[in-house]
Amino acid sequence: MNFLARVIACTLWLLLAPLAASAGDLPAGVMRVDGITAPALQLDDIDGKPYDLASTHGHWRFVHFWASWCGPCRREMPSIQKMVTRLGDTDLEIVLVNTAETEDEVFTFLAAVAPGLVPLLDSDGQVTEVWQPRGLPATFLVDPQGRIRYQALGGRAWEEPAYLIFLQGLEPATTATPAGNR
Amino acid sequence: MLFGTLPWVSAADRQFRGPYIENDTMLVGLIPRSPEQMAAFYEARGFPREAIDRIRQTCFVTVHIENKSPDTIWLELDRWSFTSNGKPLPRLDAGYWNAQWDAIDLRQASRSTFGWTQLPPVRDLQPDEPVGGNLVFPGDTETLNIEARFRSGADRQGELITIGFGNIRCNRETQQP
Repeated sequence: MNFLARVIACTLWLLLAPLAASAGDLPAGVMRVDGITAPALQLDDIDGKPYDLASTHGHWRFVHFWASWCGPCRREMPSIQKMVTRLGDTDLEIVLVNTAETEDEVFTFLAAVAPGLVPLLDSDGQVTEVWQPRGLPATFLVDPQGRIRYQALGGRAWEEPAYLIFLQGLEPATTATPAGNR
Repeated sequence: MLFGTLPWVSAADRQFRGPYIENDTMLVGLIPRSPEQMAAFYEARGFPREAIDRIRQTCFVTVHIENKSPDTIWLELDRWSFTSNGKPLPRLDAGYWNAQWDAIDLRQASRSTFGWTQLPPVRDLQPDEPVGGNLVFPGDTETLNIEARFRSGADRQGELITIGFGNIRCNRETQQP
């Protein structure tokens, strides 16, 4: 990073950090969870590649449940795409779980609004049931040890500074190998 | 108690396509759906004809709720009352639908999707948390009244909030398929 970029980054941090701290250190709609162990999550992605959440221990995981028929999900997905872009190379694994839709439905939707994201397919909805989200969309933040530490309530504007700063400020993991949709 | 049919509530600056009430504590809005709308929605998601036929025979009302207060607000459908022509109106709940789906051996994915489109029976709405979903009533219902009662506070001991909607009309089929 050159000198000018460092100055800009520091200036942005000084300007935006107070936004993250303005609501009890958590951005709007994000609540702490008591650290229960995350349920198993083993699914194939839309390309047929198997995925196991347990294989990503050591990273923070952004586990997001959604469906294309859900209005707030449709509004939120472009925001997640922007969030991924703005976060850049961070130690945060993005895990998108589509609930009970077909490959065609998922492909058609994501190709239009978030073509850079690769979702997992919970084709019969059973994995979603086990996670017990409070509704769709729902986002869980799973720590590097596999415990659910935060849950986002409803759709959120993840690309906004308060959320980006919050995500960037999660306790660092022990390893930082890029993985998933980053 | 606040009534959703009063005109003053329409001053809010959001685009809500049905009766709604918004105050400093919460927003509650309703959108009555036609059988055609509901059939089209579920048909587009691969529901079979037998399921669509059952859905068409009922009355769907979509509910949207937002907790705008700094406290917990409890959505507890068992505490709500539904009436039509002065008589209690049954709500077609998960038990009803599970029996319907068992009868036609509906696949699990469709059951899951249908379940997620229903208003949850219980939810501890946190500050800034929205929730939405459908309430379903018998298809021969013409108009209905809803009295929604919300307890507040983490221990449910806070103010009781009551919101009423009167003369909600079940949208009828405009033409047979």
